[in-house]
Amino acid sequence: MTTPPRAGGAPLTEGGTATAQEKEADAPPPSGRRPGWRSSVWTRLAVSFGIVVIAVVLAYLRAGNGVVVWQAVLTGLLIGGVYGLIATGLTLIFGVLDIVNFAHGAFLAIALYITVQAVTVLGVHPYLALIAAVPLMFLLGAAVQRFVLAPAMGKPLENQLLITLGIALLIDNLLLLFYGGNPKSAPLPGDHGIGVFGAVATLSRLLAFAVAIVLAGLLYLLLQRTRLGTAIRAVAANDRGAQMVGIDTRRIYMATFAIGTACAGAAGVLIAPLVTIEPTSGELFNIVAFVVVVLGGMGSVVGALVGGLIIGLTEQLGGLLLPGQSPLLAVFIVFVLVLFLRPQGLFGRIG
Amino acid sequence: MTATALDPSPEVVALPRPAWGRHAIAAVVLGVLLIPVPLLLPQAQQAVAVRILVFALLSIGWNIMSGFGGMFSFGHAAYFGLGAYTSVWLLVEKGVSPWLGMLAGMVAAAAFGVLTGFLALRYRLKGAYFALSTFAFAEMLRLIAINSSFVNRAVGYNVPLRPQSSWAFMQFEPGSPNYFWIALALTVAALLVSIFFLRSRQGRFAVAVRDDEDAASALGIPVMRTKLLTIALSAAISSLAGAFFVQYYFFIDPDGAFGSSISIQAILPAVIGGVATIWGPFIGGVILGPLNDLTATLLRNPPAALSFLSGRAGLDVILYAVLLILIVLLLPQGVYGAIRDRLRRR
Amino acid sequence: MKKPWIAAAAMALPLMLTACGGSTPPGASGGGGGGSSPDTITIGSVHPLSGASAGDGQQMDNAAKLAVDDINAAGGIDCLKGAKLKLDSADSQGKPEVGQSEAQRLIQNGAVALLGTYQSAVSQNVAAVAERNKVPFVIDVSSADAILQQGYKFTFRLQPSGTVLAEKGAQFLSDLSKKAGSQAKTVAILNEQGPFGTAIAKTFSDKAKSLGMNIGPQISYDPANVSDFTTQMTTIKESGADVLMVAGYYRDGVLAAKAVSTVKPTLNAVWGVANGAFDTPQFPGEAGAAGEGFFDVNYRLDMTNKDTQKVVKAFKAKYNDDIRTAAVLSYDAVRVIADALGRSCDASPAKLRDAIAKTKLDALVAQDGPIQFTEAGENENATPIVMQVQSGEVKQVFPEGSAQTKPVYPASPGQ
Repeated sequence: MTTPPRAGGAPLTEGGTATAQEKEADAPPPSGRRPGWRSSVWTRLAVSFGIVVIAVVLAYLRAGNGVVVWQAVLTGLLIGGVYGLIATGLTLIFGVLDIVNFAHGAFLAIALYITVQAVTVLGVHPYLALIAAVPLMFLLGAAVQRFVLAPAMGKPLENQLLITLGIALLIDNLLLLFYGGNPKSAPLPGDHGIGVFGAVATLSRLLAFAVAIVLAGLLYLLLQRTRLGTAIRAVAANDRGAQMVGIDTRRIYMATFAIGTACAGAAGVLIAPLVTIEPTSGELFNIVAFVVVVLGGMGSVVGALVGGLIIGLTEQLGGLLLPGQSPLLAVFIVFVLVLFLRPQGLFGRIG
Repeated sequence: MTATALDPSPEVVALPRPAWGRHAIAAVVLGVLLIPVPLLLPQAQQAVAVRILVFALLSIGWNIMSGFGGMFSFGHAAYFGLGAYTSVWLLVEKGVSPWLGMLAGMVAAAAFGVLTGFLALRYRLKGAYFALSTFAFAEMLRLIAINSSFVNRAVGYNVPLRPQSSWAFMQFEPGSPNYFWIALALTVAALLVSIFFLRSRQGRFAVAVRDDEDAASALGIPVMRTKLLTIALSAAISSLAGAFFVQYYFFIDPDGAFGSSISIQAILPAVIGGVATIWGPFIGGVILGPLNDLTATLLRNPPAALSFLSGRAGLDVILYAVLLILIVLLLPQGVYGAIRDRLRRR
Repeated sequence: MKKPWIAAAAMALPLMLTACGGSTPPGASGGGGGGSSPDTITIGSVHPLSGASAGDGQQMDNAAKLAVDDINAAGGIDCLKGAKLKLDSADSQGKPEVGQSEAQRLIQNGAVALLGTYQSAVSQNVAAVAERNKVPFVIDVSSADAILQQGYKFTFRLQPSGTVLAEKGAQFLSDLSKKAGSQAKTVAILNEQGPFGTAIAKTFSDKAKSLGMNIGPQISYDPANVSDFTTQMTTIKESGADVLMVAGYYRDGVLAAKAVSTVKPTLNAVWGVANGAFDTPQFPGEAGAAGEGFFDVNYRLDMTNKDTQKVVKAFKAKYNDDIRTAAVLSYDAVRVIADALGRSCDASPAKLRDAIAKTKLDALVAQDGPIQFTEAGENENATPIVMQVQSGEVKQVFPEGSAQTKPVYPASPGQ
């Protein structure tokens, strides 16, 4: 394959107004319009909100019951926050390193099992596993990038896709080999339902949402306010330019991949009390994370969060709108629509 | 033959052409050489050999679109599955012979490929986005099949057993060498088709478009048409693997037809053997196939040193994954590509 | 140009290496027919020893081993000069194509009969292999009706078929609720969307309607991907149904219990039919108070049977584990095969098959009579019974003949 290496990635600021570098080979060609009200951030947010409102109304008509729809919206938003956190890590990696990281879900699965170990072997509260999981995943991500991915940078896209695919298969099956296929759980002690204006949410879900938002906020601050964050954004915008200014891009690549993986790790710990843990659990979140990233715009952190919320809602409302079908189908339909209508996502560069 | 600047009439030196003819002859000879294989192998190994051929066939199809055509497909299970479901549906619901079912499957897969390819290409999806869209389509087929009573939902289909062996319905006793021979014929045919395709104008257009789409378009090559043709051919060949698979294993369900593990099995042999080479997928299949059997035996009766492995699963995929990573990092042209390049340098 | 030839040779080589048994050493597999000699008779066991159902699969395989050991200790097969049984175990990994190739391998290694497999899709494939090779196959656990509706002569099933489970499920609900004075009126259904759940849901709702009950919302879900039932449970709560029928696997059963305790729908009962969770010993522990009062209509080991009690004790002693009904069915499957060998006095698979067809053997599982097979191979006396989680333990509650204690109805689950 002789496709040329890609240029720098999308900006990691909010909004995502056009910057100098385009990823020519991937994005649709520029249409030559000047940025105007059509492409402003607020318009896009308004459009997304409008679509969600329409979906809610349709779901109400289909289900015939307001409580059920509100329940779906609540559950959708809560799980959407966590999806957003997972997708943030993924979008960061794509924005800076240009890698579509198929192993993201597998890293999340590792964090799930770390949580299980913490709960069953050490007998502690599952969230304490964050203390172990986040640094571990950070180091693992750094190591993987340094030793396995770095040699393949600059090579054709497919090579990187395949390597991350290989890593994903490797991790999933190592987990299978060591832990077996038996489902495991890591419940939150004292979990109970909490009423929210007539619908119910379990404490574990509310906490997961809250912590996910906090972590995403911290990450945003990191990107905007720290030197490292600025360096990351610089490399994302123009890696050659950043090199010329003296930024060690190799270190930034490593750091970014590590941060992205640490995000997946944190999300894994938060999700652990909510799901049954099997070696393939990571794969499901992988798929959803990809849809969110494409929806939000590859490289946009805000896009990842907003996209996460939208996909969470899609899943739940989709279950109401298409009873008898897997809610995943609704998610894929949205995915395909986004790919066709606006592949750069909500907050990606303007086409 | 060299010509210096002072020669009055230098001879025109033809550009070296790939030895297509020799590749084609090699394919046929290989086919003939492998004919006695099922007669020499015990039944268990025969099953491995058939499996190798089925997945090599799938991968040969993948390679046409993704290797030679440059359109990386992450959802080739869609074509495999359409081949499988079309032929088995026609067989079970309408009693149509699987041979005709195979043809119908090829048509269905090619049509689906052209449709989805057209949508994706029309919206200028490339690279990772294109690959993700192929994955999304395969997943959607899987989800729709699971919930659609038209194709028996998640139950899938079982091929009805016939009281006697029948060539018309492609059913023979267990362990019959006919299965291997049919798979062999299909695989050799696929190799020949890919050789002739690459030799043809369309094939050269496809490679030109892959290498530099704008230049190709400037030369007057119909880009969209070329790409769609490549996709259609790729889909048709892979669908054969699916149709044969059902006849051999007597069973298909949505996960087995459209699942991502099938898409991965389409990619692995080609990458390991050598993407964008004629022989790559076949070599890759031959390397990976026995690996599966080897690890299964190892897991069943591990030597004392590895006794913790007993009763565990997943070792085979771990080996594939390690092999995949090593090959992509160290031998990106694959095993065959590397051998070929070394020979060229001599 | 030598390249294509070298390539061709490079490819033929590994294939030929495979032929030399590079992967399976000649001795280990025993070749065709080498596994059974006049002194040992090999039985093949195909279960999911790895994968999501490994816990059950391993128990079933262990129970089969225990049965083989018990039979050998009692002298083996009398009329075959005390020939001993040998169990050849295979891992289906829960996948149909693996189960199929493993079954093929076991037969090649000399197995004269097969037992298994737990998943219906796997059993379907193994049944096809058994039929093509003319080797009898005794299904311990697999509910799909279709397996025995294809005219296969070599497959037999011990557990009650899906139809029997679902119809009895509806019948028992009607009878039990009527007896308790709160006849079930509207039944909502929550079922996994695969063939198992879909078939149970359909048969149950047809039978329930014919018994005068209404069917409320019927919600299906993807067992592989579901992680939360709050929305579904809210729909059920809002529908006003008084009973919730759940047909699914272990994981989703636990999730359903959690959702019930979170959403607190006003239900008289949660009624499992062949539910993978509600009658397992670990369910009360994992679901806690949320699972209290849950019913399940399912096949069950008969604790009133002394032989069953002996097997339970022996299993605990040997494997340090509480045996579940699926494994007891595997034990029974071996007993059926051994009993048939004792009557056919002939280890050839064809004669063995005929002897199995004429089986009349008391079961270790609660039934309406001895194990006896219909023309199609179904166990005509197989029947489920009703169990309920009471005070953290699973108890048999209905019909009276099999009851250990009285049912609590309405059970007010989640309250």
